[in-house]
Amino acid sequence: MDVNNTLSGFNSMAATFAADVDHAFWLNFWISIVLGMTVIIPMFYFAWKYRESNVKNEDISNNSHNTPLEIAWTLIPTALMMVLFYYGYTSMKTLRTMPAASESITIKVEGSKWKWKYEYPANKAGHVHKITSVYDKKIGGVKRGLYVPKGQKVILEMTSPINDVIHAYFVPAFRMKEDVIPGRTTKQWFEADKVGEYDVECAEYCGTAHSYMYSKIVVMERADYDKWFESSAKSPFEDASAPALSKGQSLYEDNGCAGCHSIDTDAILVGPSLKGIGAKHDAAYLKDAILTPDKVVPEGFYPGVMPPFALPEADVAELVKYMQSAK
Amino acid sequence: MSKSYFDETHCAIGHPKSTFMQWMLTIDHKRIGLMYAAVMFTFFFVAVATAFVMRLELFAPGAQFIDGDTFNQAFTLHGVIMIFLFIIPGVPAVLGNIVMPLMIGAKDVSFPRLNWFTFWLYILGALVALASLFTDAGFADTGWTFYAPYSLNTGTNVIFTLVAAFILGMASILTGLNFLVTIHRLRAPGMTFWKMPLFVWGIYATAWIQLLATPVVGITLILAIMEKYFGIGIFDPAKGGDPVLFEHLFWIYSHPAVYLMILPAFGIMSEIIPTFSRRTIFGYRSIALSSASIAGVGYLVWGHHLYTSGMADTAKVIFSFLTFFVAIPTGVKFYDWVATMYKGKIILSTPMLWALGTIITFTIGGLTGVTIAMIGVDIHLQDTYYTVAHFHYAMLGGVVFLFFAGLHYWFPLVTGKMYNEKQAKIAFYLQFVGFNLLWFPMFIAGYYGMPRRYFDYLPEFQIYHQFSFFGAVIFITGLTYMFVVFFKGWTKGKPSGTNPWNATTLEWHMPSSPPPLENHSKVPYVDFEPYEYHHGEPVVKFDYETMKRID
Repeated sequence: MDVNNTLSGFNSMAATFAADVDHAFWLNFWISIVLGMTVIIPMFYFAWKYRESNVKNEDISNNSHNTPLEIAWTLIPTALMMVLFYYGYTSMKTLRTMPAASESITIKVEGSKWKWKYEYPANKAGHVHKITSVYDKKIGGVKRGLYVPKGQKVILEMTSPINDVIHAYFVPAFRMKEDVIPGRTTKQWFEADKVGEYDVECAEYCGTAHSYMYSKIVVMERADYDKWFESSAKSPFEDASAPALSKGQSLYEDNGCAGCHSIDTDAILVGPSLKGIGAKHDAAYLKDAILTPDKVVPEGFYPGVMPPFALPEADVAELVKYMQSAK
Repeated sequence: MSKSYFDETHCAIGHPKSTFMQWMLTIDHKRIGLMYAAVMFTFFFVAVATAFVMRLELFAPGAQFIDGDTFNQAFTLHGVIMIFLFIIPGVPAVLGNIVMPLMIGAKDVSFPRLNWFTFWLYILGALVALASLFTDAGFADTGWTFYAPYSLNTGTNVIFTLVAAFILGMASILTGLNFLVTIHRLRAPGMTFWKMPLFVWGIYATAWIQLLATPVVGITLILAIMEKYFGIGIFDPAKGGDPVLFEHLFWIYSHPAVYLMILPAFGIMSEIIPTFSRRTIFGYRSIALSSASIAGVGYLVWGHHLYTSGMADTAKVIFSFLTFFVAIPTGVKFYDWVATMYKGKIILSTPMLWALGTIITFTIGGLTGVTIAMIGVDIHLQDTYYTVAHFHYAMLGGVVFLFFAGLHYWFPLVTGKMYNEKQAKIAFYLQFVGFNLLWFPMFIAGYYGMPRRYFDYLPEFQIYHQFSFFGAVIFITGLTYMFVVFFKGWTKGKPSGTNPWNATTLEWHMPSSPPPLENHSKVPYVDFEPYEYHHGEPVVKFDYETMKRID
């Protein structure tokens, strides 16, 4: 998949409801210009017209009331505010009215420090696509994303692990955003009508790598999507015949470890690099570092940054093996 | 030469000889106001410097010279100082203390010793807040909003900041209580509520918010501390709590708090506009009542911070509807101020320049607030730079600009000296231009999807960050220059006399300048409106020895 770190597709009206939101925004913009000018233009005009050198003291008026005028500048803005309220409401209504599950694809989204995971419904062969999307600083882009077909309603069921923090799933090109909250499930939906790649940003402050918690929504032609969905390939852009990753390596990718810990270079992404970690620490230490990271924080790093990973015993063992193998 | 409040004072305990102890123990409202000003503007400059460090870091994408964690601590430090140490106490503690008792013809506030205690409580809170800068775990990295569960999980020293915010809240409650009682009990005879200057109305509306809303944040902070250290399971989902509950409780206080900041600032505007238009104010009662109704409706709109927080859609609709009703009294005030200029004689002295500049910046700040009151639009703009730009236009371009306007307006009252008008105007223009260049590009960046609290960003946002940076340089230059002008004015300025602006309200009817310790010589009888002008001259004149009317 072609990766780049630019905000893709903002102006493309990529989601069906984006036009509604933009309409409400620009309506507000012009009403604001009009209301603002009714204050600012008279202010400049009076400051010039009644400037000190231009007014004799006898000509100063002490008028302090003008009932019709006061009614006008109360009621007209009130009416305009109600218009804006109405369009704020209608643009929300389309965003927030979930389509029927029967005509939609429901995808589970999990946001956690600092990765997005997607889980699809099972395909015909019974395979469940699970995708981990992390920002890769080395390539300056996102590896893998959320793959959806064009013209298809998609419901996102979003949550965060209960020991994590609040995130927000923000897609600027679609004009949609909703918080992703530990212990709760929140939902949003979209229907993309333009093929392309659209950035996803985390909009709720979540700590050290908040500004790297990107993902991408990749909108594809229906046929391309179906071909991938019915396969077991990790993504539509990866060769399914490529040599399979070791169990440990694929766990390392799927859990988003690579977003924070470089394993083949000394670079410090968020946490310490794991290059040559096997020579420094034994398996028990590495196991603790995954399950209870706050207990073994190395010099120069802070507790509370890495969330504990509650993985099955066997997976931890595989991960540790993979980490130890990294030279 | 009569003695001013700089020469003698009453003290909380005893009669110390040393000038230093006299300041430390003073219970004179004017001296306490000055001490607040000194401390607050010191903190203000620390927070400005912190913001400038962030702007430098954001000049280009990628890490420049600080890391993500330091950046997170920097915006938390900036927010905590600006909100809790500067802008919430700001106008009431400084100008409310100094000017309000003078305006109502009182000798001091109702409880001068409590006022002294409150100041030192504020100092204690400030010390606790900043103490964590010097601990191992470092200053909090939660943002000034302390959202759970982040604030419960982070390894930084959040406890210091939470306790500090609690203590500062206590100080705020006591200030509000003191001012409420003062305004109710110590107005000069004859001064009904409808004869109070509008700044006093602003302080009055604010005092109610301080008294009634602040306890909610106190309770919330205590609950957060109990959750963090005893795990009572109220906010942390891992213990069965609900983080969204924290957001609600937090904003039940923190939204009214923004009106707490702006209402006394609007009061300053209502003093300056008639004085420099040389005529009575237009729509006195509607301005006074709009302050009261903003304070009232302001309690019911906190949910507009939570449009994307998983709140029920019906609740969003109700909160959005109510939010628009805050916009209307605010708009009415602006029309009243502009109408006050109609057929007046506009004198463009520095305080008036600041007031008129604020009409522009706050109009932008207010109307962009209307944008994000619209639910569908806010779903896109929430937590982006659009929101950041909006509240800086409202807070810096509203509250702080009017605070500066007030500082220029009452500078001769406080010091008895006049600053250099020409230099003060240069400082204004620098700040006005710098301010707009600093914040306006952020509206655009936010609309295109630049999220707030980002340490690094996508390359296409670079142009906006660079405009902002140059705006910040100009703004800070003007800001520094303004304080230089103040300093020079105080040390070398010409004596101003008691009423340099030809103003009408009671604080300008002092027997000497600066005012004596116990203010007016006698308590005046107030049988006049606050802004009575005839042919551009104040109607009411006093004999300053007897405080009898001689007009």
